[in-house]
Amino acid sequence: MTVLGYLANGLVFSSIIVLGSIGLSLVYSIADFANFAHGDTMTVGAYSALVTFGAVGGLGGAVLGLPYGFFLALVAGIAVAAVVAVGTEKLVYEPLDVDSIGLLITSIGIAFIYRAVIQIRFGSDFTRFGIQPLRPIEALVPYGVRVTLHDVAIVGSAVVLVGGLHVLLQYTDLGRKMRAMADNPDLARVSGIRTKRVKLWTWVIGAGLAGAGGVFLGLFNQLSPRMGFNLLLVIFAAVILGGIGSVYGAMAGGFLIGMINQLTPFFSNVVEALPIWPGWLAALLESLISIEYANAIAFVIMVAVLLVRPNGIAGEGAT
Amino acid sequence: MSDDTTRPAGAADGTDGVDPVLSLSNVDSGYGEVQVLDDLSIRLDPGEIVCLVGPNGAGKSTVLKTAFGMLTPWTGTVEYHGRDIGGMAPEEIVREGIGYVPQTDNVFGSLTIDENLRMGGVARDGGLEDVIETLYDRFPIIDRKRTAKAKTLSGGQRQVLAFARALVMEPDVLLIDEPSAGLAPNTADDVFEDVQEVNDMDTAILMVEQNVTKGLGISDRGYVLDQGTVRFEGTPEELLNDEEVSQLYLGG
Repeated sequence: MTVLGYLANGLVFSSIIVLGSIGLSLVYSIADFANFAHGDTMTVGAYSALVTFGAVGGLGGAVLGLPYGFFLALVAGIAVAAVVAVGTEKLVYEPLDVDSIGLLITSIGIAFIYRAVIQIRFGSDFTRFGIQPLRPIEALVPYGVRVTLHDVAIVGSAVVLVGGLHVLLQYTDLGRKMRAMADNPDLARVSGIRTKRVKLWTWVIGAGLAGAGGVFLGLFNQLSPRMGFNLLLVIFAAVILGGIGSVYGAMAGGFLIGMINQLTPFFSNVVEALPIWPGWLAALLESLISIEYANAIAFVIMVAVLLVRPNGIAGEGAT
Repeated sequence: MSDDTTRPAGAADGTDGVDPVLSLSNVDSGYGEVQVLDDLSIRLDPGEIVCLVGPNGAGKSTVLKTAFGMLTPWTGTVEYHGRDIGGMAPEEIVREGIGYVPQTDNVFGSLTIDENLRMGGVARDGGLEDVIETLYDRFPIIDRKRTAKAKTLSGGQRQVLAFARALVMEPDVLLIDEPSAGLAPNTADDVFEDVQEVNDMDTAILMVEQNVTKGLGISDRGYVLDQGTVRFEGTPEELLNDEEVSQLYLGG
């Protein structure tokens, strides 16, 4: 594969990470809550879409190699993830009324519950949406870029969702209230913002985007009950890298972490190709910079960035 | 609500027949297990500026927080126009007609000036644009920076924005916590002028202020607080000229 090829893959994977990062960051900054069930919320979205797609699968025509039914399933995945998150907030987090550390620990338990329910119903094996895999787009293959129309659909949908979120945050009353709450929750209440309501909308938006991310992750790879949890730490890395509490930082962090993750084999090739290393060092570097360590490398880069910018890319937590 | 000229002469001693717009009666209050206010009673009449002074830890800010629902009174009542509002949430008290300007962190730094004012008006039913324009006319210092982020403002400008945000609701009562804190003397004078101007808009003001002379200087009445209760009350002249008050509480 060429550099372009790796970059293209990175773009697709980044889209998924960004969708996951946004919700984690929103809920962190507005509800003051590091939600460890966020990854499993993605899984909930993915499996909800799987069930919906099973029911409506062949519906209508297709766009970008995806049947209309898939987009219906995507909407269902977003909706169920949002409903499950709001339900959990109402039934568990809100009545518990504990501090942010208590919420964090509770959310780990909630993550196990989500996953266990999915595992009981679907088993622990990998599964796929019943969609015919596509061949890479012919026109791009000469450039070493092997992406399918499905990948284009993932990136396109992510761009639409992120763009929609930007419009919501900047130009709507709800968005301004969300930013105000992230900025200064006490002053938000003093100003008359009914913060509980805004919090619920934050859960809807954050979990909905996570649900979408889960559906796309299922399309990009495959579905399994651990799919979301496996991604959780990477998403945390992205959010911290971006500057925890900043939604736009989370987008940037998600993009970078996703890119780095997919570019790891390329780095490894570069090490191999450069003749500047003594043989033993090259061998060591190659073994370290290999695909199994893609996540570890993302974390190393996160640590390196934080050493230079302790508050992350976006600074002091400004939204 | 009466303006300056029609205020009854007896208002100064707080025992006349006018119904207070805001009153705390025999209030105990505090944070968690720690009691700060101890059987505290104060009143604010329509159109007045009342200043709370006293040493650090006397409970001045706690009075405002209890009046504004950020703390629930343990005992006693908080009445607004004769109605008990003790323990009501701040976001609901705003809708009743009371505004609050905290001492610190009183603007949304990452939001623009315009957005800050909009946030001040989330509880309004309508007329938001009009009232915001009126406030820009009144405070040109922020009019020039409508689209700037609030964190780029100077200390004095920030304080003006904090007032303006609270005024978007056109409150009957404004609670202000140390308007001059951290400001240079000249800027502080401007802020006190703004406080008076706000008061001229028929808003009664209950204010906490460290700068006793200036705070009392613009007030109709004052209370000297110590250890969570009222030690003295009276007109600014009475308080500033009282030997005991100035020696014990006003730093000589």
